[in-house]
Amino acid sequence: MNRESRIDRARRRFGQAAVAVVVLAALAPLRAWAARNNAAFDTKVLEEGVAAIGADAAVETDQILFKSPDIAENSAIVHLEIRSLLPDTRTIWLFAEKNPQPLVAQFDLLPGLEPFVAVRIKMADSAFLRVVVKAADRFYYVRRETKVTIGGCAG
Amino acid sequence: MPDPIKMRITLDGEIATVKVLMPHPMETGLRKDPKSDEMIETLPRHFIEHVVATHNGRTVLDAQWSRSISKNPFLEFRVRGAKPGDTIGVKWEDNRGESNALETVIK
Repeated sequence: MNRESRIDRARRRFGQAAVAVVVLAALAPLRAWAARNNAAFDTKVLEEGVAAIGADAAVETDQILFKSPDIAENSAIVHLEIRSLLPDTRTIWLFAEKNPQPLVAQFDLLPGLEPFVAVRIKMADSAFLRVVVKAADRFYYVRRETKVTIGGCAG
Repeated sequence: MPDPIKMRITLDGEIATVKVLMPHPMETGLRKDPKSDEMIETLPRHFIEHVVATHNGRTVLDAQWSRSISKNPFLEFRVRGAKPGDTIGVKWEDNRGESNALETVIK
């Protein structure tokens, strides 16, 4: 009896531990969200942002297709499309040179995603937009100028 | 509660093109409040800073955003190896800790 109850207790403890593991596993996807690179997002200078993501040595390439308007009629909604032809593209960053904080977005691509994203951004002024890509542990970039006709980062 | 996310998925072979609209003010913290006296108060910064997309529960895209993303953000991405019956999920979280999520089954 005594021995049996001890086994019961042990069994119950095992059961509780298993439940705890299951609960942690269920929470894991939320906790696994990548940490934000605050240094890169907070800086007011594009080159500092590029340095903060470790891309100082990025080389210009024609293997990043960057669709951006030459002239944006509404600076609050500038539609951009980025497609990387570089093998093993892992991360895409988007910078707007004249925005108060130039780093606009970072996209971490996991297996199963095509190396493509499209977004709409606000531009503070006519400026060069820069796309930086990390592919096979190397950094590449492309940049294009977009002029805005009605100004301000108002929207 | 924020307005619901809208998602449209088109399947072309094994590639699912996912277009998402996330209703959100995306306030930069720089804009003057038109309702304040003499328009001197600025509206507080309020923006989506994190977006995660999943395919059948597995994360495929993890995005960090700044306040420079447009109001009511639009996002398009393409998922490989997709088929009818698969689930695409999108979840966002803003700088105030509010969040919203939507799951859609591919037809």
